[in-house]
Amino acid sequence: MPKLVLKFENSVLKELPVGENEVSIGRSPENALMIDNPAVSHFHARVFNEEGRLMLEDFGSLNGTFVNGQRVKMVTLKPGDSVAIGKHTIVISDSRDLNGFAPNGSKPVQAAPKINETVMLDTKERRDFLQKVAAVGESAQVAPARLKIPTLIVLRGRTDQREYALNDKLTVIGKSAMATVKLKGWFAPKAAAQINRRDDQSYYIGGADKIPSVNGMPISQPKKLASGDVIDIAGIQLEFVYRD
Amino acid sequence: MQLEFGALSDKGCVRENNEDSYRAAPELNLFVLSDGMGGLACGEVASRLAVETIVEHCRKASATPSLPLTGLRIGGVSDATNRLASAIRVANSAIYNTAQGNTGERAMGATVVAVRLDGEKMSVAHVGDSRVYRLRGDEFTQLTRDHSFVAEEMRQGRMTAAEAGTSRLQNVLIRALGIDPTVEVDVSEEVFLENDTVLLCSDGLTRELSDTQIGAVLRETEEPQEAADRLIDLAKSAGGGDNITVLVVSPAAKLAGAFGRLGKWFKDSA
Repeated sequence: MPKLVLKFENSVLKELPVGENEVSIGRSPENALMIDNPAVSHFHARVFNEEGRLMLEDFGSLNGTFVNGQRVKMVTLKPGDSVAIGKHTIVISDSRDLNGFAPNGSKPVQAAPKINETVMLDTKERRDFLQKVAAVGESAQVAPARLKIPTLIVLRGRTDQREYALNDKLTVIGKSAMATVKLKGWFAPKAAAQINRRDDQSYYIGGADKIPSVNGMPISQPKKLASGDVIDIAGIQLEFVYRD
Repeated sequence: MQLEFGALSDKGCVRENNEDSYRAAPELNLFVLSDGMGGLACGEVASRLAVETIVEHCRKASATPSLPLTGLRIGGVSDATNRLASAIRVANSAIYNTAQGNTGERAMGATVVAVRLDGEKMSVAHVGDSRVYRLRGDEFTQLTRDHSFVAEEMRQGRMTAAEAGTSRLQNVLIRALGIDPTVEVDVSEEVFLENDTVLLCSDGLTRELSDTQIGAVLRETEEPQEAADRLIDLAKSAGGGDNITVLVVSPAAKLAGAFGRLGKWFKDSA
């Protein structure tokens, strides 16, 4: 578990572990890490966990927060980093659990909501919002699902490659220059069909200029793809698989 | 150089209103795009204020070249580029003052990208994470660097592109108009060649389509308006999670250009 070590000149004043909750720093006694010094703002900064990283955020304090000599607003911290607030220093220590931070008896990882609104550092709204984000879900390592790469294997037909890894939100099957699966042939449509990646990382096939069939059945609406599904479209046949 | 351009702005598939704005001042070869933020349609106000103020300032300066610059002159770049930065600073003040005047604590801000062309010289100025790209032959390059938290983390080597792409923090900006009384504007100058195409876009486009896909659409679509329409359409097909605005600028077709295109058609059909 990472620790914040508060020092003044060369003396260690306090040590505070950073657990699941954030550590607020400032002159006010309401802070988890109180620094009683006029150079420190009442609510000066905070340290919190976000997506497996240790983060520091300055609350727009008067005198600023400095990490390794540089003034920062929001930044990730690593062990050994030195945070200067007023005349005090906070050293980040204990590297072992810093990345992939997993508390004892870890709860199952929840998919945390995406921040859909563009937010701006410095406003009160953003602070409140990021507080909610930090509170949601456990920090996660790369989710196991991401190690399997969604792939289209060409079983039959003329295309520019034999296999395609699906990396984009939108995958177009067609003759267009922007298509991932490029169809050959004079009469191939620019966009025969499309595959969408949705927010939950699932893949759906939908028609464009043509209607694809999945496992022999033409689709009437976008259909979720499962590993092993066979797709027929515009004279070619593809298999959708999750590859290691 | 004669230019032609195409532009389109769409609220996308998820948002209830469109807080993006854009303006073109063809007589100045000036193109501006802004993505606003803030609740209760404040974003709309902010982005509109951004693009209108910038165009107005540049028009005024064009009529009265002695109009003083707002903010410090940036060394090493032309008057035209400095004028663009000046216009953005004026826009920043306009939005900031409007936000201050709002009752309640509603913050209001906007990104901006502005491009001005003068023959072979292109001035680019921006604040935020809306982008300017250039297509030159097969190369599709982002000309602006994002003022976003994840982009900064990537620049510092603390985050990979893959992590940034899925990070929940990818919408957090570190610079925007309307947040502080002054703003630092990033400027750059580029050469603009006869077969270049320039794209201004809000992040609603790049959240949905990859750079490779966007570049391919521009390469394949001759008319700028058709390219703009196609990009919006594809971004919406991909999900359209945010407002999407695109502005495509290219040199106007000349006769030689038309024959050039014919040859290209034969090549692409093979």
